[in-house]
Amino acid sequence: MSEFVPTPNPERPDDPFLLRGRVALVVGAGDPVGRASAVALAQTGADVAVASLRAGTQEVVRVNSVANEIWSLGRNNVAITLDATDGNSVDAAIARASSELGRLDILVNAADLPVAAPIDELSPSDWQAILAANLLGPAMLASAAARVMRVNGYGRIINVVSVLAARGVANTSAYAAAHAGVLALTRSLSQEWARAGITVNALQVGIYEGQHGFGDDPDAVAQVARMLPAKELVKPEDVGAAVVGLAADSGFITGETIAVDGAATARV
Amino acid sequence: MATPDRFRLDGQVVLLTGAGRGLGRAMALSYADAGAMVAGASRTLSQLEETADLVAERGGEAISIATDVTDPAAVEAMVAETIDRFGRIDILMNNAGGGAEGDGAPLEQLTDEQWRWGIDMNLTSQMLCARTVLPHMTERGSGVIINVASGFGLRGGRDNWMYVSAKAGVVNLTRSLAVTYGPAGVRTNCIAPGIFPHTPQALERWRGGRYIPIGRAGVAWEMGPLAVFLSSDASAGISGETIAQDGGGLAAIGPTGWAPRVRLTEPT
Repeated sequence: MSEFVPTPNPERPDDPFLLRGRVALVVGAGDPVGRASAVALAQTGADVAVASLRAGTQEVVRVNSVANEIWSLGRNNVAITLDATDGNSVDAAIARASSELGRLDILVNAADLPVAAPIDELSPSDWQAILAANLLGPAMLASAAARVMRVNGYGRIINVVSVLAARGVANTSAYAAAHAGVLALTRSLSQEWARAGITVNALQVGIYEGQHGFGDDPDAVAQVARMLPAKELVKPEDVGAAVVGLAADSGFITGETIAVDGAATARV
Repeated sequence: MATPDRFRLDGQVVLLTGAGRGLGRAMALSYADAGAMVAGASRTLSQLEETADLVAERGGEAISIATDVTDPAAVEAMVAETIDRFGRIDILMNNAGGGAEGDGAPLEQLTDEQWRWGIDMNLTSQMLCARTVLPHMTERGSGVIINVASGFGLRGGRDNWMYVSAKAGVVNLTRSLAVTYGPAGVRTNCIAPGIFPHTPQALERWRGGRYIPIGRAGVAWEMGPLAVFLSSDASAGISGETIAQDGGGLAAIGPTGWAPRVRLTEPT
């Protein structure tokens, strides 16, 4: 019997994490995790379209500054604003990213709209806004992106959700439910596109440094950090590195949720 | 640090059990490619030396240590020899394990010896290696432990006893190691590989990827990038976590991947 010899990665024998030639669309690039993901992908060689689900002058400035950072890394880029509740807007965003940058390989759904309030203070329109940004957006973007990815038979879709998708915290009902929905979406789509070369995975992120409403409140930060083994919050850059790990994967990881939470969910 | 550099392991030392063949050999090559020095351990020295030769061919450095990971004295000697040769251990990759005599037998026919051997081989062995390496890591205030479990550590299997029990133990051993030794600078994570055939019979059996959602089995080299990611600073935010790499198997319900079309209906 001949001895088994492993086959080296045929695409990149020297560096499994090199993304040169790949094109990514990062949605939520105005938020800390989206920004870090876009920069990490660009540092690893990908061209990156940066998008936001929110209109507004400040948001446009934030997203444009990420585009500039990608440009300074020598990678092609484009900045896009879209409305996740409008199918035409989603299709146009995917079309713009893939036409301006030549293809589309990687979609990172990192838009983050944290809301914390007792449920009796949430109106149906509040729910709709929270679900639109946190659940409908990722679903519609994945759907539109996969139509383009199918052409190359290659796609990496990475959905970023909060740890609240898996653990209960009072006053986070709509936000948590939307993110738990994204985890179910991740598993279901992983099967739907299993034979199309498109993997769908999720990163379940703990309260991170600078997170709006959570990680930017000193008292909340101290309280969360105390219970983490490392005694400090996860950094947006750590999520960006994990995004790169999944984006560069060979395609055997799919339907999986990876906690990037400094062991917050590992303990009782 | 730029993102690609976070995936490097230059100058680090990995103690890798089960390095003589299969996934262990593939991971040894990836570790060497990432810049790490490899202390490969297993029962069979000749297989380890072949792995070390393959590492050397790629410009890496590996030593071979014959051991028995179920024997505390042998594990002590293995750790001592690694530190003696390389001066340190940055990463413990607890890969050794496998099927045991009695797996597949009805529970009523299982002997106590078969049960104990299966648990020793797949659970106690990982505890012994961790216990022996940890004082060295905590003294230096840094280290990474990676345990290898299985999809069978997260789901049950018919007439599968020691293996499922031990691998489930590995998943939870991972969590407690992360929670306990995180404050001392040691991160612990776990990989749950799906089907990675590496004998001619197994390759034939899994040809076409029947029952695997993406339609193919895993190839050994695919373990390498995930092992390197979890060993490196790129996974700084991840601890206590088990990552499945299984072609979408655990995200599915058994072999059923598709629901029939059901239309949204109006109330009647």
